[in-house]
Amino acid sequence: MNAMPEISPALSAPPAPRRRKAKAVNGSLIAAIGVVVLLAAWDVSVRYLHTPSYILPSPAAVVHALASGLLVSPASPLGYYIPLWSTLRNAALGFMAGAGLGLVLGSLMAESRVVEKLVMPYAFALQSLPKVAIAPLVVIWFGFGDGSKIAIAALLAFFPVLINSFTGLRATEPERIDLMRALSASRFETYRIVKLPSAAPFIFAGLDMAVVYALLGTIVAEFLGAQQGMGVVITQAESVTDVAGVFAALIILGVVGIVLHALVRRIERRVIHWSRRKI
Amino acid sequence: MNAQASAAPLIAMEGLGKVYEGASGDVRALAGVGLAIRAGEFVSVVGPSGCGKSTLLRLLAGLEPCEEGRLTLADRPVTGLSADVGVVFQAANLLPWMTVAENVALPLRVGTARRGGDPARIAALLQMAGLGEFAARYPYELSGGMQQRAGICRALARDPAILLMDEPFGALDALTRERMNVELQRIWQQSGKTVLLITHSIAEAIFLADRVVVMSARPGRVLADLPVAIPRPRSFDTIVSHPAYAALAREVRGLLNAEGALE
Ligand SMILES: Nc1ncnc2c1ncn2[C@@H]1O[C@H](COP(=O)(O)OP(=O)(O)O)[C@@H](O)[C@H]1O
Ligand SMILES: [Mg+2]
Repeated sequence: MNAMPEISPALSAPPAPRRRKAKAVNGSLIAAIGVVVLLAAWDVSVRYLHTPSYILPSPAAVVHALASGLLVSPASPLGYYIPLWSTLRNAALGFMAGAGLGLVLGSLMAESRVVEKLVMPYAFALQSLPKVAIAPLVVIWFGFGDGSKIAIAALLAFFPVLINSFTGLRATEPERIDLMRALSASRFETYRIVKLPSAAPFIFAGLDMAVVYALLGTIVAEFLGAQQGMGVVITQAESVTDVAGVFAALIILGVVGIVLHALVRRIERRVIHWSRRKI
Repeated sequence: MNAQASAAPLIAMEGLGKVYEGASGDVRALAGVGLAIRAGEFVSVVGPSGCGKSTLLRLLAGLEPCEEGRLTLADRPVTGLSADVGVVFQAANLLPWMTVAENVALPLRVGTARRGGDPARIAALLQMAGLGEFAARYPYELSGGMQQRAGICRALARDPAILLMDEPFGALDALTRERMNVELQRIWQQSGKTVLLITHSIAEAIFLADRVVVMSARPGRVLADLPVAIPRPRSFDTIVSHPAYAALAREVRGLLNAEGALE
């Protein structure tokens, strides 16, 4: 039960401008109530329905597992910190590679019909492949080290940024493009000064998805074999039917996902400062 | 009439036409438009909705290629975009991520005419438009009238000889609009620019112009070219009591009604 106060602050929205404060408070209140209800239902079902711990561990067991992973020295090989760092680093590198490539290719597609016709079919073909099926191939190509983790994270982060930047850039108001044309601006000037900022809300929506996908991709790659990472923590716990340990690791990943999402939203609000009010 | 107005036309159109090719067939927007505008003149264009007014302006600005008829600026055929033309768009069309000063300085920062910010010129333009205190504000912090004034400043940034305006005050309330008209008259008298103003307000057209050009329904051509013999500076208080005003307004309205589409 004491896990609850640690989770609820992460669930609340990032600080909103003052005039929206009342709404934000209610939002986190609702989220907190949801967590309490969920934990209570969980506890009751384990306690009174006598669910075996290898199917559903008790909240107390999960909290214990969390504590034993978190309340240790960051350098301890038994804690979450070393594997979490490994997973986050690979996810971040994969995110940067995938999102970067997605933005560049999405921009080229938006600027050129030829590139669009050339790339779009492959992009959609790639996206419709089940990633879980490609993952073992990627491991064969890139090995069991960090390379395959980064590659799969990049693969998953790529598509949402590609499609969103392409769509966003193409959606630039024609009046704004006319303005730049009337000023005989170069193509790159129009891209940089008008199209990119116009597409920023789309691009950030893509980045928001991509950051979570990159984390997901890294974990999936770690399942297939790795020396380190939260995926390894999960498979190890599974191998000894430590269901509470699996739950604890999943909770950590869930919280990390929420924090990453909040981080992207915060950066977005910084960058797109003008969208607070549309003109 | 403005002092700078001279005999040779700065803008000349002859048999100007335009056809838009669309998926559901071609649309003829303009047919045989003939019009000559002298340097320093202020010409208003009125016409039924969809008659090709914006198309005419886009041709002049070089935003659409001239494929039918002749169109010259200072005796040179218009082949593309010209740095000597400033365009004021229908909605102010400011970039929301730039401050007012950055928006106004945009024409100095891009294109082949690029020459760096020139902050003194931008400050002077904003001052003239009464936006001096709003230089560092963002467009969403400005009223509609202020946004459109910033749009006009931006069009003037390169000090073009010609100013093209496409229904610039259409979105403003009547009172703000009249105030903007008075300011535009002042800016025009100070700068001596050649202005082509597209509008659907007969009062605005007459108040500002040396000549009111009335266009026919689509495909657009020039129905009438009416001089406005009312002395300047004009004010809305006095112009309505001028005998020429009422007669002209009646004539323009009659022409537009005959075209079956008064907005
Ligand atoms: N890019 C375009 N493609 C096809 N048709 C167009 C395009 N732009 C304008 N038109 C058509 O040309 C006609 C004239 O349009 P426009 O010049 O915008 O008229 P106005 O400004 O007088 O209202 C209209 O019937 C419009 O539908
Ligand atoms: Mg129009």
